[in-house]
Amino acid sequence: MDIDFGMVIPYLPILFKAAGMTIVITVLSQAIGTVLGFFFALARLSDIAVLRGAVWTYVLIFRGTPMLLHLFYVYYAAPAVGITLEPFTAAIVAMSLSTTAYNCEILRAGLQAVPRGQIEAAQAVGMTWPRILRTIVIPQALRVIIVPYMTNFISHTKGSSLASVITVPELMLTAQMIYSSTYRAIEILTAAGAIYLILTSALTLAQLWLEKWLRYDERGLSSRRRRQLLLAASGNG
Amino acid sequence: MIEVAGLTKRFGENIQALAGIDLTVQPGEVVCLIGPSGSGKSTLLRSINFLDVPTSGVVRVAGKRVGFRDGVGRERRLGGREMAAQRAEIGMVFQLFQLWPHKSALENVILGLVEVRRLSTAEAARIGHELMAKVDLANKMDAFPEHLSGGQRQRVAIARALAMNPKVMLFDEPTSALDPELVGEVLAVMEKVASEGMTMVVATHEMGFARRVADRVVFMDQGRIVEQGTPEEIFGKPRHERLKRFLDRILV
Repeated sequence: MDIDFGMVIPYLPILFKAAGMTIVITVLSQAIGTVLGFFFALARLSDIAVLRGAVWTYVLIFRGTPMLLHLFYVYYAAPAVGITLEPFTAAIVAMSLSTTAYNCEILRAGLQAVPRGQIEAAQAVGMTWPRILRTIVIPQALRVIIVPYMTNFISHTKGSSLASVITVPELMLTAQMIYSSTYRAIEILTAAGAIYLILTSALTLAQLWLEKWLRYDERGLSSRRRRQLLLAASGNG
Repeated sequence: MIEVAGLTKRFGENIQALAGIDLTVQPGEVVCLIGPSGSGKSTLLRSINFLDVPTSGVVRVAGKRVGFRDGVGRERRLGGREMAAQRAEIGMVFQLFQLWPHKSALENVILGLVEVRRLSTAEAARIGHELMAKVDLANKMDAFPEHLSGGQRQRVAIARALAMNPKVMLFDEPTSALDPELVGEVLAVMEKVASEGMTMVVATHEMGFARRVADRVVFMDQGRIVEQGTPEEIFGKPRHERLKRFLDRILV
C-alpha cells in the first residue's frame, strides 16, 4: 500500500476540531487542577493535622493510580452509585482529580522553597499572611514551580488522549475513527502526532518565555512601573 | 519604650535559649547586646516582635503587650491582623538582609507603605526616595538586590524598616554577614538613625560601634543578662569573670 499524505487533507477540519476538544479538556482540567492543587498545597502546609493528612492521602491515591482508571471509575463505575455523567463531564472530573494531585505537590514544593527569612521580613513590616502569600511567597515560588508545572502540563496534554476510551471526541479517538474507516493508519496517526507535537511545543515555548520573564533582576522594572515610581520624585522636588 | 519581664524561651526539650530576661529600654535609648554566639541575643530580639514566641514572660512595646491581648483573665493571643499591626510599629533588620529579590530596591522600601499603610504608589515612592537618599543610595533605586553589595543591601533593609516609621528598631547582627570593608557604611547609617533619637536595640559584635553609639551595653551569656552598664563601665571596668574573658577574646 502506498503512503499518501495527501489523503489527510480532507480530514484536516475534523482533526482540527478534535484538537480543539483536546485543548478544551486539557486546559479546563488543568485550570481546575491548578486552583484545587493550590489550595491543597496550602492545606499540606497548614497547622491542622487532619487537613494535612487528608490531602496527603488524596495525593497518595490519585498520583499513585493511573488516570485511565480514574476515567473508567468516573464514567463506568460511578453510575453504580447513581452518578451518571456525560463523557465530556466525566473526562473533566477524572482528569481534574488526577492533575490536582500532581499540581498540589509541585506547588507545595515551590511554596516551601521560599526561605523562611523572606516571610519573616514581610511579617516584620507588618504584613498579614494573605498579603505575604500574594506579594512575597507566590512571586518567588513561581520561579521554582514553572519547570515542573509546565512538564506536568505537557504530560497532561498527552494524557488527555486517554479520554478517547470514554468516547470523548478528542484527537486520539477521532484519529482512530478515521483510520478504521479509511485504513490509512500511518497517514492519520502521523497527522495526529504532528498536532500533539504542535500543542506541546506551544507549551514548551510558553515555558521558555515564562522562565525568561521570571528572571526579574535581568528583566528590570517595566518602563511603566519605573515612570510610576519616578514621578513621585519629581513631585517631591 | 520596651519592657521585657521574666522572658524565657525554650526550643524543644533541651535548648534553653532565654533563661529569664528582664530589660527596660527608654525612649531614644540605644542598647547594644553583646555576647558569644548562642547567648540568646537574636532570640531576645526576635521575641520582642514575636517572630519567636516566648515560652513565658511578658514583652511590652510602647506600653502595649506584644502578641497577647492586654487585660485581665486568661491570656489570649492576638489574631493575625492585630499581630501584623503591632509588628508594623517595630522595625527589624536581619543579619542576612532578607531583601525581596523580585523587587527593586525602592520597591523593597515602599512595599510596607503600600500594602500595610495603604498609601498610593506615588506617596509611598516619595517617602521611599527620601529614605533611599538618607541611606545614601539615591542612585540605586531601580537596582535589584542581586546587583547590590552586601552593605548596600543592608542599607536598603534599614530604609525598608524605617519606612514604616517604627517606634523602635531592632538590629539582629546587621554587619555580621558583611565583608569587613563594607561594615563601616552600614554602621554609619545606624549611627545617623540613632542620632535622630530612634530607640534601638542592636545585637552586635562591633565593639567600636557599641562604645561610640550605645547608651547602654548589655552582656548576655547562656540566655541570661550577665552584666549591663554604660560602654565605659562594660569595656573599661568589667566586673564579671565571663565578661572579662569574652572581652579578652574579642578585643585582641
